[in-house]
Amino acid sequence: MRFRFVVPLLASLALLAACREQKVTSYRVPREQPEPLPPILTGEVPSPAAGMAAMAGTPVTTATGAGLTWSAPAAWTAKPASAMRKGSYAVTSEGGAEADLSITAFPGDVGGELANLNRWRGQIQLPPLAEADLPAVTTRLSVNGLEFVVVDFDNPQAEKPQRILGASAAYDGATWFFKLMGPEAVVAQAKPAFLDFLKTVRAPAPAAQP
Amino acid sequence: MNDTVRQFRDFFVSLKLTVVLLALSLVLVFAATLDQVNLGVWAVQEKYFRSIFVLWPVGDIPVPVFPGGYLIGGFLLVNLVAAHLYRFQFTWRKTGIQLAHFGLILLLVGELLTGLWQEDYQMRLTEGESKNYSESYRRNELAIIETTDPKIDDVVAIPEALLARGDAIQQPPLPFRVVVKAYYPNAVLQLRSGTPGAAPSPATQGVGPKLVAIPVPLTYKQDEQNWPVAFVELVGAEGPIGTWLVSAQLAASQTVAYAGRTWRIGLRAERAYKPFALTLLKTRHDVYLGTDIPKNFSSRVRLTTPDGREDREVLIYMNNPLRYAGLTFYQYQMDSEHATSVLQVVRNPSWLIPYVSCALISFGLLFQFALHLAGFVTKRRGRAQTA
Repeated sequence: MRFRFVVPLLASLALLAACREQKVTSYRVPREQPEPLPPILTGEVPSPAAGMAAMAGTPVTTATGAGLTWSAPAAWTAKPASAMRKGSYAVTSEGGAEADLSITAFPGDVGGELANLNRWRGQIQLPPLAEADLPAVTTRLSVNGLEFVVVDFDNPQAEKPQRILGASAAYDGATWFFKLMGPEAVVAQAKPAFLDFLKTVRAPAPAAQP
Repeated sequence: MNDTVRQFRDFFVSLKLTVVLLALSLVLVFAATLDQVNLGVWAVQEKYFRSIFVLWPVGDIPVPVFPGGYLIGGFLLVNLVAAHLYRFQFTWRKTGIQLAHFGLILLLVGELLTGLWQEDYQMRLTEGESKNYSESYRRNELAIIETTDPKIDDVVAIPEALLARGDAIQQPPLPFRVVVKAYYPNAVLQLRSGTPGAAPSPATQGVGPKLVAIPVPLTYKQDEQNWPVAFVELVGAEGPIGTWLVSAQLAASQTVAYAGRTWRIGLRAERAYKPFALTLLKTRHDVYLGTDIPKNFSSRVRLTTPDGREDREVLIYMNNPLRYAGLTFYQYQMDSEHATSVLQVVRNPSWLIPYVSCALISFGLLFQFALHLAGFVTKRRGRAQTA
């Protein structure tokens, strides 16, 4: 073989490639002010059942990039979106009671459909479901190319009765959650509007190519 | 000359090697361009071009499947230099060609040096804030900071790559070992109170028991960030002290108390400290009148050194970076609503090399063409005179 040294040469280079490593460093700097933990984690504010929504001050990974768009009914009052929320509305009943509509998005499937629905159930003190229970409690809705899973959870026995009307859909590698949560009467009254609202949710049109 | 040396020489001066290397680089660029859809620009550069081999994971073992940019570029460089040394004969008629090739050699060396030496960090400042460090865009580190002395932070920084390997780490002056129980390169944190039925947390200390870490796929998109999470156990001489959940989302905010000393622990963006500080005095975001179209972003900063030799104000704006101590600070992003400015901090000692090599190549080619043109014109005139 004419160039028999080439194989050992390449093998030694492969070993060299595997040897690139980073090292632990230690150094001394003047005292720096640490970033505070979110109050919800330090116990300075009580942890409400709202769960994730209560972590509004926590820097949590949310999905970024081009998002879904929607048209909310005029009767809903838009609240400022936060680092956590893509959209936020106050839904008020005729009697003045208020429910909260949150629109959030997180990368991946966030633990899967069952885990996500059980998280919502936990927020209104309902026991978790088993995988086999899913078909009975979910409604599938196909809207503008998006596949929504819609649920309606109610717990009248809870200390503070609450109802969750929720929908989730996968879009662009993230899961989008639309959750209306509040007193049973308010959510029941807003249900038709919520379902109509879901029909307005759509993915943005692809950008025009130059 | 013995046989092996002759083999080496024949291999590296061969024109066939040049052709093979150029063909391999074509394939490499093509594959990398296609893979950019999955990995994004930065990850593609690291995987295909700033590597000796392109590695393909088979199970947990990365297997080299194709020569990487450093290998092809390195061989091209050696090939070019060796061929020149072997065949080099100085004549005026070939000066242009030699110069163009020398420019090419310089270009390859420049790219190698850029890959090895370039640092690309960012410095995020809010008006009134001072910083003497920049932070990596993508790399994180586990910082264990001793705060026993009220004036000094003693920092031990463990790169994320070592956490990913899962080795136990013993680093003086820490009186305990750091054992990685679990590591997720990207994960979402949620409150345990809102996640019934979640598996028990490996964390026993700090805020970890209150949280659930849900691993999510790595993102390679330009506008998204991975948030790594790790569960680290600290083991002292008498046994385990506890397990902490650390996440780049929580910074170095949790405390560890052991043997009468205290530390802060957490994952944070990898830091590069400087011997000077920048203070953001004023941000400015101008738009074209009557529109939201940005016209100008600028940051007025104050540059100071601890010894007092430097204390001056600098205006950084688009195409007018601050160059200081081998670093270049570019205006990168701005959030005028929160009076926050992000500067891109770049160290590239070899930034001039591509300019010099392009000039050499251009001059060499021009000289060669001019020489040929002059020869052609002279020959033609001679023919015309004889006719």
